[in-house]
Amino acid sequence: MKLKAKLKMYESYLTQEEPKDQVEPKQNIEIPHLEKWASFDTSPYFLDNEYCLIRKKRYPIHTKRGKYTFNDFKTAVSAWQKTNIEHPLSTKGFQPTDLFFFDTETTGLGGGVGNTIFLLGYAYFENDEVVVKQHLLPEPGGEIPLYDSFLKSIDYTTLVTYNGKAFDWPQVKTRHTLVREHVPKLPQFGHFDLLHASRRLWKGELESVKLSIVEKEILGIEREDDVPGFLAPMIYFDFVETKNVDGIMKIMEHNEDDVLSLIALYTHISFQLLGLDREQSKTEQIQVGKWFSSLNQSKQAIKLYEQALDNFDGKESWQAKYDLAMQYKKQKQIEHSLPLWKEIIDEGRGIVKVKSTIELAKYLEHKRKSFQDAINVAREGLYELKRIKKISNTFPENLQEDLQKRIGRLQEKIQKKSYNSSLD
Amino acid sequence: MLGKQNLQDLIDWMKANKNIYENITHWETIEGKKANFVPFPDNLHPKLKEALINRGINSLYSHQREAFDIAMKGENFTAVTPTASGKTLCYNLPVLQTILENSEARALYMFPTKALSYDQKSELNELIETAEIDVKCYTYDGDTPANIRQKVRKAGSIVITNPDMLHSGILPHHTKWVSLFENLKFVIIDELHIYRGVFGSHTANVIRRLKRICEFYGSNPVFISTSATIANPKELAETLTGEKTNLIDNNGAPSGKKHFVFYNPPIVNKPLNIRRSATLEVRKLASEFLKNKIQTIIFARSRVRVEIILTYLQELVKDKIGANGIRGYRGGYLPTERREIEKGLRNGEIYGVVSTNALELGVDIGQLQVCIMTGYPGTIASAWQQAGRAGRRNDEALILYVASSTPLDQYVINHPEYFFKQSPEVARINPNNLIILVDHIKCAAYELPFKKGDTFGGIDVEDVLDYLLDQKVLIYSGNKYHWMSDSFPAHNISLRSAAQENVVIIDQSDIANVKVIGEMDTFSAMTLLHDEAIYLHQGTQYQVEKLDWEEKKAFVREVKVDYYTDANLAVQLKVLEVDKEAEYEKTIVQYGDVAVQAMATIFKKIKFETHENIGSGPIHLPEQILHTTATWISLKNQLTELNEERIEEGLLGLTHALKNIVPMHVMCDPKDIFVVPQVKASHNEKPTIFLYDRYPGGVGLSEGIYSRINDILLETKHVIYSCPCDSGCPSCIGTDVLSNTGKSDSLLLLDYFIEETAG
Repeated sequence: MKLKAKLKMYESYLTQEEPKDQVEPKQNIEIPHLEKWASFDTSPYFLDNEYCLIRKKRYPIHTKRGKYTFNDFKTAVSAWQKTNIEHPLSTKGFQPTDLFFFDTETTGLGGGVGNTIFLLGYAYFENDEVVVKQHLLPEPGGEIPLYDSFLKSIDYTTLVTYNGKAFDWPQVKTRHTLVREHVPKLPQFGHFDLLHASRRLWKGELESVKLSIVEKEILGIEREDDVPGFLAPMIYFDFVETKNVDGIMKIMEHNEDDVLSLIALYTHISFQLLGLDREQSKTEQIQVGKWFSSLNQSKQAIKLYEQALDNFDGKESWQAKYDLAMQYKKQKQIEHSLPLWKEIIDEGRGIVKVKSTIELAKYLEHKRKSFQDAINVAREGLYELKRIKKISNTFPENLQEDLQKRIGRLQEKIQKKSYNSSLD
Repeated sequence: MLGKQNLQDLIDWMKANKNIYENITHWETIEGKKANFVPFPDNLHPKLKEALINRGINSLYSHQREAFDIAMKGENFTAVTPTASGKTLCYNLPVLQTILENSEARALYMFPTKALSYDQKSELNELIETAEIDVKCYTYDGDTPANIRQKVRKAGSIVITNPDMLHSGILPHHTKWVSLFENLKFVIIDELHIYRGVFGSHTANVIRRLKRICEFYGSNPVFISTSATIANPKELAETLTGEKTNLIDNNGAPSGKKHFVFYNPPIVNKPLNIRRSATLEVRKLASEFLKNKIQTIIFARSRVRVEIILTYLQELVKDKIGANGIRGYRGGYLPTERREIEKGLRNGEIYGVVSTNALELGVDIGQLQVCIMTGYPGTIASAWQQAGRAGRRNDEALILYVASSTPLDQYVINHPEYFFKQSPEVARINPNNLIILVDHIKCAAYELPFKKGDTFGGIDVEDVLDYLLDQKVLIYSGNKYHWMSDSFPAHNISLRSAAQENVVIIDQSDIANVKVIGEMDTFSAMTLLHDEAIYLHQGTQYQVEKLDWEEKKAFVREVKVDYYTDANLAVQLKVLEVDKEAEYEKTIVQYGDVAVQAMATIFKKIKFETHENIGSGPIHLPEQILHTTATWISLKNQLTELNEERIEEGLLGLTHALKNIVPMHVMCDPKDIFVVPQVKASHNEKPTIFLYDRYPGGVGLSEGIYSRINDILLETKHVIYSCPCDSGCPSCIGTDVLSNTGKSDSLLLLDYFIEETAG
């Protein structure tokens, strides 16, 4: 039986995809809708018998995007030059022109060789302008001109992306591998992935830290007429088939918005880290403080906590006070920690109070050797735990164990001490 | 018996004890064999040589040396070697030698199960450690933690995986494995014989994809496989890998003397030919060995059987060896538990183990003294592998085969010669099964675009690519077919299951604990899982409360009733195309494509024992159509001796026997092949027997049947003829035939179908 006939016969067993209108695949180099493309700042880039489309658009530096202008980014970079604060997102030693803000659009989700990148978009600073450049794959065969033009254009040291470490850049590497014999090598880049920063700063506050939500809630950017990113594959397939440019232009505008938002986002995050945002919220202050303390930058963390405490009141402040006390301890300034712990124990409630009793008991036991005082403090912790147990579902067993052990040990020490002194 | 007996005492005891000896139908003694040693190859790396010597190996077995020489020449081979013959050195030596000569070289090891990967990795690492060489060897499977995956991809000289992981975890991400694919020198396929039927057909396509990717990165690996004894290892290896392959079958390993004892439980009901349960006989025999602390492995065909035998035995021998001295081993046990049992067997703390075929594969448990098979394991290859579990190199070993009353078991027990001549089973695969092929072409296109004119596994696939173009899965551009869908095709394709959706069987006896107890293909479900059907599952009766055909779910509840249900299935077979045919004097045999149209009509409730019909009801299910390949044999002339009813009964009877004989010839499970008799086939109005592949499109089983149909029928006749029953029993024509003439009519019909000249 002919394979064609067999295919017909076994059709019902084969996985079917949604049928769409069919068009004959084209193979000529005539570019459809060239005028439309031209009016969209887009022109073709030819290489051997293939081409890709490149769009280039310029924005004046004082263009406003949400709360910030592009020029504020320059302010942020120069602020990094003047500070001694160390941070993974620091651009100390960078020129604004060293960075490029990068995002891709792909035909599918997740990593895998068959997930094709059809749009490489990025923004960068040139003189007193921001330039957005986008390389579009007109049909799947044209990846050589796509990567050739892209790799010949990017003369920067560092990428700024949103989830680019896990997704966009590995996918660029994957697709590049397939055409690596025909295009320039992939250079090594530094990489600032702002998704991690967003998670640290706003995870508790926002329903999700998707870029679209962060830019709306934090940066005050309102997009008009935006096509959601998840429609990109379908729109692209339609474009490849019908050559109809309206949909794909919308996707390109979406991508453009994304890379421009990255500039504003980097600016905002830098201002947070450097304490330059006067409207910085209390949670932002605390989260930035936590970030510094996790980087072992206690001095910077203390400064932020102190500022935060001035503005804080009520329940939220106990955690901040505790965090601050721990930073003082790290800085070997425990004399500053003690009043904070005492204050929490006297006036606060909850787990943070229990933790403070443990800290204070440790101090009393090891530094002051006043064992009875330490026991009293630890008992207060146990008492608080009992209260928590009554009202809460989650119960910290480890804290209870810690306190009980501590009390046991302290009692032994007291006995030993009294035995020793009876010998004297 | 008094005092502790050794194996020889027990062998003598079996011969002397009349109650046992009279049930022994055959006693074959296979003499021990001396090792055939050859010196190490001159070019063997000094560190490897030293490591082998340190491990007490001063020379190689002849087959290991042959393997080394062939592999180092850059040629493919498949080695057929019994259990415990040092097969791992056949591939580990050339692989390590190559890596020592070229530190960039890589090898990919593929094992059918995770347990085997674990075992092989530790063995390989022991050798690497003894040799004090720096060779990184990692497993890469679903259990590999994310944080070390990158290390494996970048630095693993030897990567151990399984076909499923290769299919969905490695090939679709090949750009992350550039250094592996650029430097891939060897692909090792262990347990080759497992890759048959649907699984093998899928794996062959995975290998086609692997080779395509290797070509892209400029490597051309050598394929090495090892197999248990099957009739066509070379053919299977060549079909699976698409490469010319050398066969190594001159086993140079020594073996001790083996006693192979066939034990048929006594008949307890002569007219119905019912024998004592094999399980009970095994219990009796095994306890004698275990009481005397003789290490024994007992194989059983199902997990439930394992548990039953285990419970019996633990009770019987707990005073002598303690309850922990005998253990069960099957799928569903935790890996740590399995490891503990394997270790216990190796160091002698555990005397007995009751296992499913899980222990048949190469998991290292050392060598035991006695192996007991409860029922025939289904294929000769399995039987030899199970038997290989007993027999230390220089000691005697005893292998006991205890038959159940199924036709296959009874056939084997009466034909010991079948067992001891070279295995007649052929492992079949059909990598070009259209459904499987199209699935893998999708995956392959996802991995690398097809150029116009590209072949896949040597076949022209332009029609398939055009079909996928129509389906909007591919896009043709720049002379290439590009993947153009947002899905990840490998995730929707399982290598181990059939294409058709199965019906899931859900037990809702306990509302608080509703659970899935099994699944069944849609075709069988029509007659076995319709509303009100009584469904038997591991000896328990369930009634189907509702069959949700749309959702493919059958809801059942446990019941105790004194009847079973029997559904009528109206089957129409349409011959679509004849690909091969052979005409004889009285018969015509054909092979080709068929459409099986089946519709369940009514069911009857039939009382146990009296077989009276106590009720019936209609079945409302849509007609099902299965397209597949089939072999069919028809009589050229109408039969005048028998009326239509007797022809039907006779065909029904011979079909029952035939179903059981087929798996001995084409290596498969009885349920992979359907046998359907027709008094008047629709295409020629003649009495015809159809044998068709259960999997849509076929995986080569019916094609295998085509080439040996006469042998199969001859053996079927022999089974029925030599059965001691009066007029039919479960061991020959089954219990569906109700007339007294069924058995003789079956034989008469067989005479017509069997071509004297060909036989």
